[in-house]
Amino acid sequence: MRKVEKKTAEKYFKIRTILVVICLLIGFSVSYGVAAFADVIYETGATILGMPAHYYMGAQGAVVTFVVLLFANAIISDRVDKAFGIDEKANVRISGNSSDH
Amino acid sequence: MDQQSLVSLTLILLTFALYIGISVYNRAKVTSDFYVASRGIPPVWNGMAIGGDWMSAASFIGMAGTVMILGYDGLAYIMGWTGGYLLLTFLLAPQLRKYGRFTVPEFIGDRFDSNAARLVAAIATIIISFTYIIGQLSGSGVVIGRLLNLPASTGVMIGVVVIAIYASLGGMKGVTWTQVAQYLILIVAYIIPIVFMSLQVTGNPFPWLTYGNIVSELGAIDRELGISEYFAPFSESSKMQFLALLFTLMFGTAALPHVIVRFYTVTTMKAARWSGAWALLFIALLYLSAPAYAAFSRFIIMTQVVGQPLDDLPGWTESWINTGLLEITDSGGDGTLNWQDLVINPDIVVMATPEIANLGLFVVGLVAAGAMAAALSTAGGLLITISSSFAHDIYYRLLKPDATDNKRLQAGRIAIVLSTIAAGVIALDPPGVITQIIAWAFALAGGTFFPVLFLGVWWRRMNAAGALAGMLGGLGVTLTYIFLSMAGITIFGIQDTGAGLIGVTANLILVIVVSLMTPPPAQKLQDEVTDLRYPEQMTYRDGEVWMNDGTDD
Repeated sequence: MRKVEKKTAEKYFKIRTILVVICLLIGFSVSYGVAAFADVIYETGATILGMPAHYYMGAQGAVVTFVVLLFANAIISDRVDKAFGIDEKANVRISGNSSDH
Repeated sequence: MDQQSLVSLTLILLTFALYIGISVYNRAKVTSDFYVASRGIPPVWNGMAIGGDWMSAASFIGMAGTVMILGYDGLAYIMGWTGGYLLLTFLLAPQLRKYGRFTVPEFIGDRFDSNAARLVAAIATIIISFTYIIGQLSGSGVVIGRLLNLPASTGVMIGVVVIAIYASLGGMKGVTWTQVAQYLILIVAYIIPIVFMSLQVTGNPFPWLTYGNIVSELGAIDRELGISEYFAPFSESSKMQFLALLFTLMFGTAALPHVIVRFYTVTTMKAARWSGAWALLFIALLYLSAPAYAAFSRFIIMTQVVGQPLDDLPGWTESWINTGLLEITDSGGDGTLNWQDLVINPDIVVMATPEIANLGLFVVGLVAAGAMAAALSTAGGLLITISSSFAHDIYYRLLKPDATDNKRLQAGRIAIVLSTIAAGVIALDPPGVITQIIAWAFALAGGTFFPVLFLGVWWRRMNAAGALAGMLGGLGVTLTYIFLSMAGITIFGIQDTGAGLIGVTANLILVIVVSLMTPPPAQKLQDEVTDLRYPEQMTYRDGEVWMNDGTDD
């Protein structure tokens, strides 16, 4: 065991929190945000892939964005962990020892 | 029995044999096999199992039909049921995994050090999962009933027996690998018909790229008929109801105990994040296809059925009229079929598509087997969750903490069989249509659990009193609102299916207010919550963070 600097530990948590907040903000704006203005977008007559833009966002755009956000989160989080010297093998070993309550 | 029934039945029996074979091979030997598959499932496979667990009879059979009938307003289901995984993977799953328990009630009981909270959570889990499983069983009843020309009730009983056999044998370990197989079967069965339909209608085998023009054409057809355009927003409800429904589905998904428990089966927080990402990718394959189904089916109905003479309708309509899922009246009295004369049950769209597109015996059978896979995989996961609430949370953690591993395993199996029978009996005469029953389960799950779990892993100061007030208050408010709105009393025009918005808000306020009015939880409990900020290798203890690098203390 070695002590982690308070600053380093706080920085780790802060980076992870910012990542979560940004991703959720994007996720909410493509779903709730677009739905809240669906009637306005409908009036403009804009289209994506041949269908009205508000319909496209509900049927495809939002879902594809969600998938991209989740993979981006998994990849970025792995990089953050690596930058802070976290070894996934050690994680597996540690969680394996304490899993059964 | 005609040739079609024979082909479909053979395919379904083959898949049943496969599921039972898998669960015999992966028979649970100890309780950690039974509840969390020994926490050894790799993220990609867990993602696939989550996909099977998640995509229910309602997703497979009902969703495309719902979108077809509701138009834009049906898209709340598409965004809500996928967006839940965003909340789950960002806000709950990794933290809950690091906390390391078997069930959701166990997390709540231990996090707040309160057996009262454990009991409330266990009972709420049982109620929610029960509501949900009734939807699955009536779903499998529709399929079997249609297939064998039996009443749906006989179909329900057959589904019940199959599920009880394989879930009680394999436990979570068996259910995980059957869910992987069921995912593969259901996604292939869902995508094949839509690819052929896209080829027939547009000449392009990629429905996801081509149905956009069909959507626009549908709007033009609707304008001509003088009905509201297919893609016009909020034509079937209000904007507020749409947003409330979207909220209910999204937050409910993130708080469903049978979905959360799947994240307990992986090894680490990192694996939980990757599981979430893979799960949503696999789920999205179906959810991106449903609006295409909706558009193509509606296009075919609009161009080949509507406007035809009543005595010269396409052959496939007859068998569905016989099941009562399609009704035709002749209100105009002019012998031709108007759109207004058609009453279409959302459940038939996917099941009838292969017949409408004339895809032949094998594809019709495949779709039937896929629908069964969707119903069974979700029911399997739900049964594990219900039985773990009885056998692990109530029997082992509350009543008999000294029970041996064998006794606990036996208790789990008995609980599964009993809950299957009970759910089967209720599903014989289910209240309301499938989608509606399921939408209630989401309102109840979100209203009872989401704020409690979310603040439980992120807010140290939250205590047992707050958790109890949140769960009981949230559940009470949600149930009350569902019944009030059914009776016609609503706030902002939010209907019963959007009750989650009211329930989650009430729960959140109760947790914060009651926690702050009562003493803070013990320091040890608070430290455990701080510890969830860091990966497994980092531990929070006595105000310091420690890195476990293999050296001794």
